[in-house]
Amino acid sequence: MKSTENREFSRQARREGVLAPVLQILQIWQRRAPLLTAGALLSLLALLIGLLLMRAAGLRVAAMTVGMLVVTTGALRIFGASRVILRYTERLVTHDAMFRALADVRVWFFRHLARGAAAGLGFRRAGDLLSRLVSDVEALDGLYLRIIIPLAGALLVLPFLFIAINMVDTELALVVSGLFACGAFGLPLLAAILGRREGGLVSHASAQLRIGVLDMVGGLREIATFGAEGRMRDHVHARDAALFRAQMRQARMLALAGAASYLCGQAAVVAVLAAALGLGLPRIAPLPAAAVLFLTVAAFESVGGLTRAGALAGSITRAAARVVAVGAMPEHAPPEGTEPAPAGTDIRFEHVTFRWDAHRQPVLDDLSLNIAAGERVAILGASGAGKSTLAALLLKVVAPEAGRITLGGQDIATIRDDDLRGRIAWLSQATHLFADTIRANLLLGRPDADEAELWAALEQARVADVVRDLPEGLDSWLGEGGASLSGGQGRRLALARVLLSRAPILILDEPATGLDARTEQEFLLTLNEVTRGRTVILIAHRLAGVEKLDHAWRISGGKMAGIGA
Amino acid sequence: MNDDKTVMKAWTRAQSRLGRRLAMPVVLLGLAVAGVAVGQVWCVASILACVLVPGGTKVAAWPLAGLVGLAVLRAALQMGIDVLAARAGMKARARLRGGVVDAILRGGPGLLRNHHSGELTALAVDRIEALDGFFARWLPASVLWVAAPLVIGVLAALVQPGSALIMAACGLAVPFGQALFGIGAAVASRNQFLAMTRLQARFLDRVRGIATIVLSGRTEDETRRLAASAEELRMRTMKVLRVAFLSSASIDCALVVALVLVALRNGAQIMALHEQGVPATVMAAHVARGLFVVLLVPEFFAPFRSLALAYQDRAHASGAAAAMRILPDAATARAEGQALCDAGQGVRVAFENVGFAWDAARGATLEDISFTVPAGQAVVLWGPSGSGKSTLIEMLLGFIQPAAGRITFNGTDMAAIDPAALVAITSWIGQKPVLFAGTLRENILFARPGATEAQLQAAVTAAAADSFVAHLPHGLDTRIGEGGFGLSGGQAQRVAIARAFLKDAPLLLLDEPTSHLDPETEADVFASLRRLAEHRTVILASHSPAAAGFGGQRIDLDHGRIVTSGEHAS
Repeated sequence: MKSTENREFSRQARREGVLAPVLQILQIWQRRAPLLTAGALLSLLALLIGLLLMRAAGLRVAAMTVGMLVVTTGALRIFGASRVILRYTERLVTHDAMFRALADVRVWFFRHLARGAAAGLGFRRAGDLLSRLVSDVEALDGLYLRIIIPLAGALLVLPFLFIAINMVDTELALVVSGLFACGAFGLPLLAAILGRREGGLVSHASAQLRIGVLDMVGGLREIATFGAEGRMRDHVHARDAALFRAQMRQARMLALAGAASYLCGQAAVVAVLAAALGLGLPRIAPLPAAAVLFLTVAAFESVGGLTRAGALAGSITRAAARVVAVGAMPEHAPPEGTEPAPAGTDIRFEHVTFRWDAHRQPVLDDLSLNIAAGERVAILGASGAGKSTLAALLLKVVAPEAGRITLGGQDIATIRDDDLRGRIAWLSQATHLFADTIRANLLLGRPDADEAELWAALEQARVADVVRDLPEGLDSWLGEGGASLSGGQGRRLALARVLLSRAPILILDEPATGLDARTEQEFLLTLNEVTRGRTVILIAHRLAGVEKLDHAWRISGGKMAGIGA
Repeated sequence: MNDDKTVMKAWTRAQSRLGRRLAMPVVLLGLAVAGVAVGQVWCVASILACVLVPGGTKVAAWPLAGLVGLAVLRAALQMGIDVLAARAGMKARARLRGGVVDAILRGGPGLLRNHHSGELTALAVDRIEALDGFFARWLPASVLWVAAPLVIGVLAALVQPGSALIMAACGLAVPFGQALFGIGAAVASRNQFLAMTRLQARFLDRVRGIATIVLSGRTEDETRRLAASAEELRMRTMKVLRVAFLSSASIDCALVVALVLVALRNGAQIMALHEQGVPATVMAAHVARGLFVVLLVPEFFAPFRSLALAYQDRAHASGAAAAMRILPDAATARAEGQALCDAGQGVRVAFENVGFAWDAARGATLEDISFTVPAGQAVVLWGPSGSGKSTLIEMLLGFIQPAAGRITFNGTDMAAIDPAALVAITSWIGQKPVLFAGTLRENILFARPGATEAQLQAAVTAAAADSFVAHLPHGLDTRIGEGGFGLSGGQAQRVAIARAFLKDAPLLLLDEPTSHLDPETEADVFASLRRLAEHRTVILASHSPAAAGFGGQRIDLDHGRIVTSGEHAS
């Protein structure tokens, strides 16, 4: 499933071309336009002052040798001081602007992930892909600092350079500006085109290495029991070597790009000197020659990094494309409703048909179902039969292809998403525990719960003893660098979070996973007590026999069959 | 904490020592570039002098030709540096990754008890990739920032000792400036680096759990919090950058001061010569020398800038050093036995008063366990989760050792048997088999890479996997695992059974093999497992009622002790 989505992503990225995603990122940054522009302007100003400083330095040295009055001493000092100050300010402002812009992208990304595309995620998309997207967001800083700002600088420098040299000699101005355009625009563009392929190879090789290592780590037990350590080491090593080969090719290309860009600048220096000597180009006067020389050196220095940036632009635009793709609505995403949730909590599925994939059999086929408020029902079936799809439909993660679903008599398509989800608490197979305190994790279910309520929920979920044993109790940190819970304990904590919620409808997807038979029985008996008055939809592949149920259905082939109460 | 710092410092120092050897060619080429740069500056100065002092020297084309030649040479050298630096980074990463992979394999499944597989993967992949800059950029730069200015300074001193002195003084001011702002920045950045990684981890965590957030109706809340923490990250980072940029501004400052001083000094000198009315040739020589030292100033300061740019690469090294500490070091490898185990007549397994505790504070996990499984017989370990079944299987796999008592295979103490021999006589099937990215064929052959096609087919048929294999798009050559076709729990378990058939080991360990399956599939899988169990010694841990049909001896465990043992009714 993962690779198909990967492919989908890259296909979409290719369809949209290179510029479209970058433009969309710029659109997200629109709010920061004044600051970003200010940063760019400051950087241009710093660049200009730098050019003037070098020009003044050249003039001064030259003027002295011919015994002219020293007019530039003051200018030299002023330019020197302002260059240092401006560069400092410029770096601060551009970085500040970039961080603000990146924060905006994160929030935009999060909101879009949450809406539409995101909602289906818990069901369909794996965490690894998400982690990659997160690093994509972070890669976008290169777009502003390494591409936009120097490009803007080059656009300013080109006419400045031409006008300044044109005052001395037109032919030389044409040669130097031509070389500058080549170094600032031509070579970076060429590097970007060539680098796209190399960059793609590198990211493919590194993905392969990651898969190899992930396999190795996940399969440590298999490897140990089959004595396959040597084979696995060779396997990882081969992928490592493949990555290095790809990176080496990229490094060679970058080195070549850097050399070409350097030679462009040197060619311009040689041209200026040749003109000064009157070799091959019309001879120019000594004083202007010195000024032009220093100007040329400084101008080329300002665009030295662009060719390398061009070679890496491919990976930045790819990252932008992947991030932007998140904003696109997935096919099944239901539209956002506008009505508040009704008071009633009767649930009706009316002739609902749904399929995840247009080419496959429907998962649910003309299915109708009534669950009255306060009823306790079980939905059974083999894995893949559509039990979880039922929950996804009810939570408006996906929209039915045909038919409708009502809550309290109102079509859920018209209900505001957050309102609807406020009425339904859901324990899924993939419920996530956040790297945060146990307390913070529980409060997600009900932000205003007090200490006693938290402990009551933990008791009901049969996990209170575990939490009590932790040195910091409710304030213990979960996840990396914190208390590690076993899989079963983690699920019970997630269950406590669901039990804590005030939602009148509970959907519990295999709540007893990870419990042994005896604890499972105890837990289900408690469940009968603590959920009194609420609607409970229990999703399981088998019943333990102690559940108090009003109805039980078995789902198979997209249809429901009652199996009595 | 201090201990951690010492370990991290020692690691960084050891890596620097190893990396510097690889960085040597880069450093040498860097020095060559510095030499070429001096030559280029000399050519430019000569040409300018010749232009500015008419009649001083005759118009010569050789400096221009020299300039062209040196530029090409410098471009070539720089390419060499880039490629060699990349190679040094790669070699270092290959060495480190090899070490991490070895350590993970040595640590074995035990590592996964305390660490998430994603964390270990990130360590072996991303952490080490991030170290590239440390070896490719930081190490050469950390030598060159002293060596290259020294070379340039000495050459400048040959021409104009006074100006060389000015450059040296300004150059020496740089480390002071760095120390003044740099130390502040380093202290601040170490804390900020931590804060930054924490906030990044938070973002990642929230994104991973987004479905849970959305379906709890908490999207807006979390978005607001995310915006707030991103804002905090920005403010914290800017606080560091304000200081960090000062340290590079101090380099700029030193450069401008040196430039102005050298220019003023030469200007004054030349003015004086002018007033004296010296001959043009003398004048030209002076001008050439003056221009030479002025133009040399930026080259003199270039290595300082490279060092400042590479400074953040160093921070990655400390981060990586801290992360590496979770890996077991080579010294902790356990002593390995030498004895072989003759399994020709099957394997008799005996537990003799075995005890074990994961955590002494929480009490014993297993206590005084004694039982014997005769060769070719089965035993079912029965009991609720937490009763010690899995611990017992872990021991038989050799992942942990008994704290008390001993386990014998055909009378030989397990601890004395060569680990490779143990692997050879044992097959194991757990709750969820791991399927590697690759074809189904490769996954089954994983058990025995040298097996023939006929043996493979026999194993597939014996495991009753042939029925679903026939429906796969490419049969045995269908790609499965990460990025491939998804198999259901029952199908995956059949792959595991086929692996066990192919391996054909006399001892079969089954750890809750059906706990993730629905009742129908469970019955089918048990049928295949019973076929696999024929003529083998089997130890099955389960709390599923269906396991009762497996036959053989039944041992009830509770809280790490044997409660009852006896024959199954069936």
